[in-house]
Amino acid sequence: MNLSRFNIFCLIVIPVACLFAFCVAPLGVAAASSFFTDQGDFSLQTYWKILADEEYRSTLWATLVISVVVTAIAAPFGFLIAYYNVMVVKSKLARRLIYMAVILPLFTSNIVRAFGFMVLLGRNGIVNNTLMWLGAVETPVRFLYSDVAVVIGLSYIFVPFMVLSIASALQGIDRSLLQASSDLGGGPWTTFRRVVLPLSLPGVLAGSIIVFTLSVSAFVTPSVMLGGRGKVMSMIIYEQYVSFMNFPFGAALAITLMFTAFVVVALYSYVFERKLAWSRA
Amino acid sequence: MSSLAFLKPGRIGMLFLHAVSWLAVTYMVVPLAVIVAASFNASNRLAFPPQGFSLKWYSQFLSDPTYVQSILNSTQLAVSATAIALVLGTAAALAIARGNFRGAGALTTLMMSPLVLPNIVIGAALLQFASMFGFARSFSSLLAGHVILVLPYVMRLVLASFAGFNRSLEEASQDLGAGPFTTFFRITLPQIKPGIVSGGLFAFVVSWVNVELSIFNSSPQFALLPVKILNYVEYTVDPLIAAVSASTIYVAIVIVVLIDAFIGIDKFANARAET
Repeated sequence: MNLSRFNIFCLIVIPVACLFAFCVAPLGVAAASSFFTDQGDFSLQTYWKILADEEYRSTLWATLVISVVVTAIAAPFGFLIAYYNVMVVKSKLARRLIYMAVILPLFTSNIVRAFGFMVLLGRNGIVNNTLMWLGAVETPVRFLYSDVAVVIGLSYIFVPFMVLSIASALQGIDRSLLQASSDLGGGPWTTFRRVVLPLSLPGVLAGSIIVFTLSVSAFVTPSVMLGGRGKVMSMIIYEQYVSFMNFPFGAALAITLMFTAFVVVALYSYVFERKLAWSRA
Repeated sequence: MSSLAFLKPGRIGMLFLHAVSWLAVTYMVVPLAVIVAASFNASNRLAFPPQGFSLKWYSQFLSDPTYVQSILNSTQLAVSATAIALVLGTAAALAIARGNFRGAGALTTLMMSPLVLPNIVIGAALLQFASMFGFARSFSSLLAGHVILVLPYVMRLVLASFAGFNRSLEEASQDLGAGPFTTFFRITLPQIKPGIVSGGLFAFVVSWVNVELSIFNSSPQFALLPVKILNYVEYTVDPLIAAVSASTIYVAIVIVVLIDAFIGIDKFANARAET
């Protein structure tokens, strides 16, 4: 089917208009509001307030640290499942079952998954009961309401993104390269380390960027897992928007968070790609 | 696949790999399984392993009109957002796949851009914007946000189904005198149906489970199920909320099975990972 210019225009005008009206314009309004005072003068006062306040700086730092740790855990975890499913599993049924197990959590709400961890990690949860039954601990360990709980919850929630991203990189590997490596005398471990791993790294990079970005802005899991005993940036943004109705300051916090995350992702991709280029040379 | 024999480590190594991998896969469903198990508790405490077997929490959940109402609200929102996104997303995907125009790449990037924006940022900006125009925390602002949220997923899956599509059928149809509308509805639509069905199911579920965008734009008058669960879990956890949560897991299972039946879960996983 060949479409005329007029046809194309008709097809895209409403989707593009919607995107501008309900995404680009709101973001523009929010971003602009953070740069003006109530009197309408240009000002960076909201940003100075964030930078000057020790609490905001430490919360931003805590959010970034949690997100880095979550990414570092989800990457090998996701790699294991993706590698196993693409390279090892032979039966079609098993492969489908594994994909279902990975995708099913994606189809349940973050709050439901966080709740699952409350049942697992609570004072009388399975983990504590098992530890006490084994005699490893005398009294229940307090897992919930700590950064550790946030990391456990978030890394679980984001594993599927890592699996899908790495699996697609692994599927793209030309199988004849594996044959070649083997013919040249490379054992399984050498083939994995010198052929499969380097070729899967772009998938690891893409997955890490997705997981890091999602972790930085995650709201539900941290707020349930911390139970008021700590804060991450998204909770402060929510507070400013919903409790205090201070939109410009909330917007400034959101921009600060997104900008910092962007810098981290850009630095990470730069270093990662330099290393990749270097290892291939 | 015999070609993968080169990756086979020794027998013990292989056994270890199988064991660790299946453990990891099992871990993915453990938090969901414990909720389901806990929801059948006969006791009032959220005990695990469950004490006794009872369906009383399900009957209590379904006889509470506020829960039923929140399910209806969430469903109404998800169905509306999905319907709008399907029409807009298919139109845009058709233009990108069939129109040979400059800027098609840029248009794709623009339409996919909400994917890289955090949900809380879209939600917060929409709250601020809607407040300016007097429709904050209304069904309209929720619907606008959810359409933006699910549109990229619909486009991605419909675009994926345009790849590997036999264009000669469309040309034959047009050569035989059918207009663009007839050609689209009689030839194109049946061929991209898998993308539309899976895109629609995925869009529905993304909207249905969303919390982050909704908390900025929903109101107590129009309660949504996931937001209601969040408000509950923040104060207390009991078998009742386990029954509510478990029910959302059953919906997720049904949708996974439907997607597997329509396009195959592995195809869906691949299309999902692209871009």
